[in-house]
Order: sequence, then structure tokens, then C-alpha cells
Amino acid sequence: MIHVRTPRRLLAPFNLLASVVQRLHRGLLTSGAAIVLAGCATNAPQDTWKPKGPNAAKIDNLQKPVFAVAGIVGVIVFAAVLYSVVKFRDRGQPIPHQSHGNPALEITLTIIPALILTIVGVFTVRSVFDLAKTSDTEMIINVTGQQWWWEYDYPVQEQFGITQPIITSGQLVIPVGTKVLLRETSRDVIHSYWIPVLNGKRDAVPGRVQTNRIEADNPGIYAGQCTEFCGLSHANMRMEAIALSKDDFAKWVANQQTEYVAPADGTLAKEGEAVFLNQCVRCHQVNGLKRADGTPAIAAPDENVWSGAAPNLTHLMSRNTFAGAMFDLAKPECRKNVWESDSATFGGKYLTGVTKDCLNESALRAWLRNAPAVKPMYTNPEQLAATDGKYRGMPYLGLSESDIEKLVAYLLTRN
Amino acid sequence: MFTTSSKYFLGIGTLAAIAIAVSILFVNPSALAATALIGLLGAVGMLAGVALYVRDGEITSDEISASSHSAPTTSMWPLLTAAGAGLLLLGTVTQAAVFLLGIAVLVAALVEWTVLAWSERASADDTFNAAARKRLLNPIEFPVLGAVGLGVLIFSFSRVMLAVDKRVGVVLFIVISALVLMGGVLFAVRSTLRRSIVIAICTVAALSTVVAGIAGAGSGMRTDLEIAKYERDHEVQRECGAEPSKHGDDGATRTISAKSGVIATVEFVGGKLIAHVQGIEGEQHSITIPRSNPSSIIFRNHDAGEFRLVAHLGAKEVTEGVVVEVVACTQMTRRGAEQLLTLSIPKPSVANGPYALSVAGVDGQNIDLVVP
Repeated sequence: MIHVRTPRRLLAPFNLLASVVQRLHRGLLTSGAAIVLAGCATNAPQDTWKPKGPNAAKIDNLQKPVFAVAGIVGVIVFAAVLYSVVKFRDRGQPIPHQSHGNPALEITLTIIPALILTIVGVFTVRSVFDLAKTSDTEMIINVTGQQWWWEYDYPVQEQFGITQPIITSGQLVIPVGTKVLLRETSRDVIHSYWIPVLNGKRDAVPGRVQTNRIEADNPGIYAGQCTEFCGLSHANMRMEAIALSKDDFAKWVANQQTEYVAPADGTLAKEGEAVFLNQCVRCHQVNGLKRADGTPAIAAPDENVWSGAAPNLTHLMSRNTFAGAMFDLAKPECRKNVWESDSATFGGKYLTGVTKDCLNESALRAWLRNAPAVKPMYTNPEQLAATDGKYRGMPYLGLSESDIEKLVAYLLTRN
Repeated sequence: MFTTSSKYFLGIGTLAAIAIAVSILFVNPSALAATALIGLLGAVGMLAGVALYVRDGEITSDEISASSHSAPTTSMWPLLTAAGAGLLLLGTVTQAAVFLLGIAVLVAALVEWTVLAWSERASADDTFNAAARKRLLNPIEFPVLGAVGLGVLIFSFSRVMLAVDKRVGVVLFIVISALVLMGGVLFAVRSTLRRSIVIAICTVAALSTVVAGIAGAGSGMRTDLEIAKYERDHEVQRECGAEPSKHGDDGATRTISAKSGVIATVEFVGGKLIAHVQGIEGEQHSITIPRSNPSSIIFRNHDAGEFRLVAHLGAKEVTEGVVVEVVACTQMTRRGAEQLLTLSIPKPSVANGPYALSVAGVDGQNIDLVVP
């Protein structure tokens, strides 16, 4: 029998491949170590192991024992496999006696996992039903996802002083110790809302309303991230839940319901209002803003944006992020001052909003200058055939530096 | 130097490379086609490398010599490949479904043909070659054929259920499931049953289902489903008065799936209109819905007679100087029944509102629709 031999030169690419695999192996080991070490991070705002509310605590109370049980079982199985592999490895010895069937052992090894799974199952089902409970809800907020930001609207709830609907975006503001029911939906594709330290995630599905209950124990900022891949800027679709004491929440509500005050004539902000009316109001609503003829300026995002909505900017400076919570509206030192404040002083600092001194002007200017350059979005006019020419995200507006200057001055009045 | 299969993969790779160049230079640099072709190029490149490396499975020269003398077996795959190509061409000028079917048939036939051709040259032993082919393809063929067969049966059964009356459908479902259960019990208990009898019973059952399905599809859907087709017309006509409309006021039938994700339930009880909003205790007189987002509301009638829920969504100018009221409504809903109304309101209440829900023909009963 003649075998066709593989020429050595043909093997060269495979030697190279082997070398690459070896390096990849080293790389994987390094990455694995980095991931393990990342678990030791102290500044991890999306840590599911540190619940900050009763719903997240329920999940935590379930996942820790399950993780422990699974870990113990895993260690036992791995140890048994390792022992067998080493102890009974092939050393040229004859094949040992083969036996089949050991009813006592088989029944035991069936009953033990079944019992473990039953116990885990009982506690899991109980937790699932606990988390799904909505009958004792104290407040509701409609949460609507779209590419790539979250909108929050608060229906009229007079017990919280909400006498007219409030609409905001990026930062969800809630009172502490209050059972808040989020009614989630989406305007375009499936998104998923998740503030890890307050509760598990829930998909926001177009045409459906899904509920998710959150409650925060203490005042503070709790970070989250869209967890359902939703397109180009999925990774930049962030959110923050702001928990305020009940008194501070009442102040926030009162501020959100204040009447629109136009900038004084002759100021740069007044010129900025004119630019806003000329450009931004095509998509962005500012409640109470009127045109020169006295008619309300109503935004028409349904005519320009595929999802049919753009963030309401009436009280932009009352939140300290923008563009789907991707960018800080406040300078790093000001934001740090809010983030790192204690429960007692947090509310006061947050309610101060973003002042001129604290405004992260360079980020805001960059956004106004060319938004698609700083956040990937579908805004190239040549590639909008699938959306009937409508944008998915904020397009390049071609604003002059002078207009940007005026707009920044105007937006600073939106607190 | 190059083995037979490596030539095949290199050929495909060359064609793919040419197609990529043409696609990028003359069609669209960022087109999906180029991306797919680059993927294809990578895949066939890898396959060509593997084929070269293993020298087509390291077949010994005497086996090559032996196998080269044996004639290929008869095969239906060339015929099916041609049929697939024909369907693909036909699909380009008729329907997308035909085009997709053509692709499916073409790919399946080419895979089968390729593997068959390879297996016939695997060795000089025809039995071994046949076994090699089976070993490679049966794990794919059986699940695919099973899925296709099951799909045909399910589709046929659904045609029957759509054609027969609702009550007959319930009886039919019970009878058929009882027969399936009896068949299963028979096969389990009588393990000595002859294989030919089992095959005969299964074949007769499958054929009966398919024939019944064809008959059901031929006779069309039952009356209430046919009427439901006009539901869209009903929406277009906007016949939202207190009187029955001319277009499909016979009860919606296709709204069940939407009922689990509604924003509110509106009930008409004792001449009063009340709303229940999930998460808010008690009866509500206003519903807040997000702007530009399809939101569903269930309307439930508890009063004697037939009523419809009407949404008043402001007014719009259709032509210069001609302003019409924008309305949306459910169909007439009899006592104890419910209907779904889905609204998408692009403008906030301050722009075009106030928006409201009412019952046609009933005064003084409104629920505010608030759009922030």
C-alpha cells in the first residue's frame, strides 16, 4: 500500500497556524486572568452582587446559594474527572474488568441531583412570582426605549404631586422606599432595561407593555445598560436611576412642572432660543416654547426620526448626562461630587442641576457640532432608504460655531 | 500538487474574489453582498487548505486507481440541482418564495451531490463508500426531512382547522388526538406488530391529513374568518358611529396575541366608561400613553346591546382649508365581548388635543388620553 505523503512546504502554513494558536492560548490565559481580577474591582456600579433595593436583594438571596451549590457540585465533578483521568490513565495496563448496572448507585445519583434541582426550583419559582408582583405598586413610570436612549414619562399621580405628565430621558428619577412599577415598551426594536443593583432585566418590546418593579433603599445614582443588542450604538445606550429622598423627589417633581420662562431679550440665550426654534424643534420638544407668532412650538420627530421621538429638552440641565446617558453633561469634578456624595447630601447636590460652571461644554459642543462623529448612528442621508429617509439618531446639522455658542447659552437656561 | 476537492474550493474562491471586486467597484462598497462574499471566500479558503493538508483524506494510490474504474451510481441530484436552478430563475421573475425555495433545493442538491461524488471515490469498496456517505449525511438528512414532514402535517392540519366550524374544530381536535393516543398505545403494547402494518397505519394517517388539508385549503376559511379579513377595511373606512358599519362589524378575531401587553383596559358598565391601568389602583379617568408608539387598549362591554369605543385624536388638514376629525375605533362589541384598539399618536396632547376616548352614541362619558 503506497501512502501519498504531504509535502513539507504544504505544512508550513499549519506550523504558522500552530504558532498562532499557541499565542492565542497565552492571550486567552491572560484575558481570563484579567476577567477574574476584574471581579475584585471596587468601583463597579453595575455589580449584581451588591443589591441596593429589595427586588435586587431577592435575586441576590437566590443566586448566592444557587451559585454556592452549583460551585460545590462543579468542584466535585471536576475533581472526580481529574482524579479518574490521572489515576486511570493509559500506561499500557490491560483493560480492567467491565461491569454494567449498579441500581443502588444509579438511584442515588439520580435522586441527589433531582432533590437539589427541586429545592432550587422551588426557591426560584417563589422568587419569580415575588418579583412579578405588581398589586402593591405605589408609583408607575412609562419607560420607552428607542435607538439609542430611554424616555421616561410619569403619568398624573397626585399623591406624588404629579398633576401633569412629566417627561424626561436618560436619568430615571424615583423616590426612595417606593415600589415603582416600570411599564416598558419600545418604539423601534427590542431593547432591555437593566439597573443591576435594583432588579433583574426586562425586555422592552415594540407593541407590548412589560412590567418591571424597582425600589431603591437609599438615595444615590444607580447605573445600567441596555442588555439586548439593538443596533449600531447598543453599547452606548446607557441609563441611570436617580433615587431621591421623598422630600427631594417632591422638589424634583415641582421643578419638572414649572412653567417655561423665556430668556431675557437681548441675551445670547435669547438668540439661542431662535436657533433652537429654527433647527432643534424639528425633533426636540421644549414644553411651553412658543414661536414668534405666539403659537406653541411643537416638535415633529415623527416626520424626521424613525422611532418617532427625540429627547424632550425642557429640563435638560436638571439631569447630568445626555445623548442616551453616553456623555456627562457635568464636568468630571462636578459629576464626581454628586456621585460620591453621601445619602444625606446627595439629593441637594443632584437637584442643583448643571450650572454654567459645571457644564461639560466641550462634550456638548462636540455633540452639537457633529453628533454622528461622537456617537455612531444611522444618519448618513445616502443610507436611509430602508427608513424612508428618516434618521436613527441625531444627524449632522451643519451648525456654525456662532449658532453652537448661542445654543449652549440657551440650553443652560433649561434647568 | 492540487487535489480534486482543493481545486473545487479554489475555483469557488476565485469566483467569490471576482464577485467581491465587482461588487465593491461597481455596486456598493458597503453592501451586504460583499460582506457575505468575503465570508464565503474565507470559508472556501479554509476548506481548500484543509483539503490540501489532508490530501483529500489521504487516499492510497491503489484505492484511487481502483475507485477510478468504478462507474458512478445513478443519482437524482443532478436532476434536482437543475430543478433548483430553474426555480431560482423562475423566482427572480415571479415570487420571492419561489426564489427562496430554489435556493433551498439548489443548496440541498449540491451538498448531496458533492458528498455522493466524494463518497463514490472514497475507496474501492462500494459498501464502505455507501456507509461513509450515510455516516456523513444521515445526521443532517433525517432531522431536515423530519422537520419538513412535520411542517407539512402541521400546515395541512391548520388548513383543516381554519376551514371547519369552530365547534366542529373542537370535536375534530379531540377525536384526532384520541386516535393519535390510541395509535401510540397500540404500538407500545403490541411490540410484535409487524413493521409493514405500522408503516401502513402511519402512511394512511399522514396521507389523510395532507388530503384533508388540501381539501380544507380548497374550500377556504370559515365564514367568521373571511369576515375578519375586512377588519382592515373597517379601520380605513373609519365608520365610528353608533350604527353598525358596512365593513366587518362582526367581531375581531385576530387580536388575542396583543391582549397580554395592553396599556389599559376600558370597560363600559351601567352606561359608564371606566379605565383600569396596570399599576394604579382603582378606576381611572385618564390614560397616559407614550408619543409615537403603538399602544393597545382593550375595550370590554358589559351592557346590553352593541357598542364601540371611539378615540378622538384631534383634527388634521387633509387639503388646504379642509380639516377633518381624526378618529379610530373598535368594531361593534356585544355584551360580554371585548375588542382591541391600537393607537399611535405622533403629537403631544398640547399640540392637537385634548385627546379622548368615548363610546359612540353615549354622551358625557369620556376618558382623557394624555400624550406627554
